[in-house]
Amino acid sequence: MTAKPSSAPPRPAGLLTLGPDGSPEPSRGAPSAPRSPAPRPLLVDLAVAAVAVGFGLSVGIALTATSRHQLAAPGGVALFLGNVTGLAGTYLALVMVLLISRIPFVERVLGQDTLLRWHRRLAPWPISLIIAHVIILTIGYAQAARTGILHEIGPLVNGFPDMGIATAGFVLMVAVSIASLYPIRRRIKRENWWGLHLFMYLALALAFAHEIVLGPSFVGHPMTQLVWSVAWAATAGLVLAYRIGLPLVRSVRHGLVVEEIRPEGPGVVTLILRGRHLERLAVSGGQFFEWRFLARGMWWQAHPFSISARPQPPYLRLTVKCVGDFTTALARLPVGTRVALEGPYGTFTAHALHTRKVALIAGGIGVTSVRSLLEDLPKGTRPVVVLRASSEEELVLREEIAELVKWHGGRLHEVVGPRTAQPIEHLAELIGDLRKRDTYVSGSESFVTSVTRLLALLKVPQEAVHADVYAL
Amino acid sequence: MKRAAIAVVAAVGGFAGVLGFNLGGSRAPLLQGAGASTPPATPPGSSSSASSSSSSSSSSSSSSSSSSASTPPPAGVRSALGNTYQYGYGQLAVRVTLNGSTITRVDTVGLQTAESYSQQLAQQVIPLLRHEVLAAQSAKVNGFSGATYTSEAYIYSLQSALDKLKKK
Repeated sequence: MTAKPSSAPPRPAGLLTLGPDGSPEPSRGAPSAPRSPAPRPLLVDLAVAAVAVGFGLSVGIALTATSRHQLAAPGGVALFLGNVTGLAGTYLALVMVLLISRIPFVERVLGQDTLLRWHRRLAPWPISLIIAHVIILTIGYAQAARTGILHEIGPLVNGFPDMGIATAGFVLMVAVSIASLYPIRRRIKRENWWGLHLFMYLALALAFAHEIVLGPSFVGHPMTQLVWSVAWAATAGLVLAYRIGLPLVRSVRHGLVVEEIRPEGPGVVTLILRGRHLERLAVSGGQFFEWRFLARGMWWQAHPFSISARPQPPYLRLTVKCVGDFTTALARLPVGTRVALEGPYGTFTAHALHTRKVALIAGGIGVTSVRSLLEDLPKGTRPVVVLRASSEEELVLREEIAELVKWHGGRLHEVVGPRTAQPIEHLAELIGDLRKRDTYVSGSESFVTSVTRLLALLKVPQEAVHADVYAL
Repeated sequence: MKRAAIAVVAAVGGFAGVLGFNLGGSRAPLLQGAGASTPPATPPGSSSSASSSSSSSSSSSSSSSSSSASTPPPAGVRSALGNTYQYGYGQLAVRVTLNGSTITRVDTVGLQTAESYSQQLAQQVIPLLRHEVLAAQSAKVNGFSGATYTSEAYIYSLQSALDKLKKK
């Protein structure tokens, strides 16, 4: 919070030759792109409070909708519990949607990895509550109608308005949830799982009508009907605006196309994109975009890659390691391929600084976000940069890093060799005064985890550790 | 951790807010015990006793003077309570009032439903049924689709009340 990234260094001359074939900077002196706005934690606190109030209200209206007479009637208790679980579960489902709706001010404070972690951690609750809602209400209605539970299923689905589609929504919801259970999910390709996961939106939409028409808290209560409808409409609006609208507007405005693809090292390529109005694309060093390459067979999937340099209008650059089908195909993209983008996302930025000095630790391809972050670090941060790679050739972007470190008056350590020969502890020794620094760690999940674990052992305060995990 | 605390406090606040609003407001919540959507009608005891002992003579009359008398054209205002019928997720009984042989009033008593949707449905359809009955001057009216069970219970209970008053 202390240092302002606006005092970032001017570009070292001769370094950022983003133009094709290392031609001189095409737009020297052109205005550089603004940084992503500073995070405002207070806003997020307020948003958390508002969402939590909503949960309290949801449980509250379930309670007040039931009279003692109804509770005493046959099935009354079950009908009441079914209503409570339904409302609570559905509200938590709304929270799940909010967590992944990419609201910019929330993303800037919490970061997408935190939001996704919350989304995953919350996930078992709404689905369990909604399954309980279905089972308990079936029992309750069977008791009320003095019939068997299995007998009651037919009349429940057919005899009430909107119950047919709600049942379809429930089946869909359970199916998608099963596919998201870890043992099953890890057997499904990421893209396929993601496509399947989208059906959760449909499931929630199908369930909406029966809530309003049949829910005891809503029947005859236009006020709660209105509030519930507005809450869901607003959530849908946020998803549409920030997951579809804004990315679409940005992609069209900047009209990015692949200008050049440069090999950087073994299996690593830099993609240089050309676009319009990049001086208006607010992005901080260390952030990433979800990229969508509009080529045959690729356009429908978006992948996160960090920018490996801040935009330099009309150019924008990302550096990618080819590990899967998709990334390998990237290296063969024809020049001129159009590129859509969503973002920027990520809290791995100079905004996160607490102290004056900085250490940057990058494992392998993690160097890309460190590279762009170095451009944004304020003066006087004296960055100590540790680059970790298993071979010399894998130290991609090392010249650029060296030049930026020199400009900052920092130190650069290159640690090369197999993991067994270069234990993690060694990295910490190289830096020395870790407890006085903000430490940024980027790389594969195992690398980041082992470094952050080490930092915790060394009593580096948690808020001074910033991680950027690359899912490979 | 700080945000978790904010969330817990806010959720409890929201919950307490609803309860507080309801205690102060007109809706009768669970906590107060009065039926939120059960109409004031009659206490549940009376309707259930009507349903159990309905077949025999006892339950029916409030101002009745009829039944035993053999003379065909009964005069004056008489009323009878029909049997309580269980239907779907609720129960109801109908009280009918005759002036001579003209149906002048039909009231629903002891309407109870397990859940709000059926309650709302009943409250919507019962005035329509009453209107039909008054127009037709008999229990031979059509039920309303979408509220078949409610209509049937209404018609059966009405018929049982009319039977007690010996109206065809």
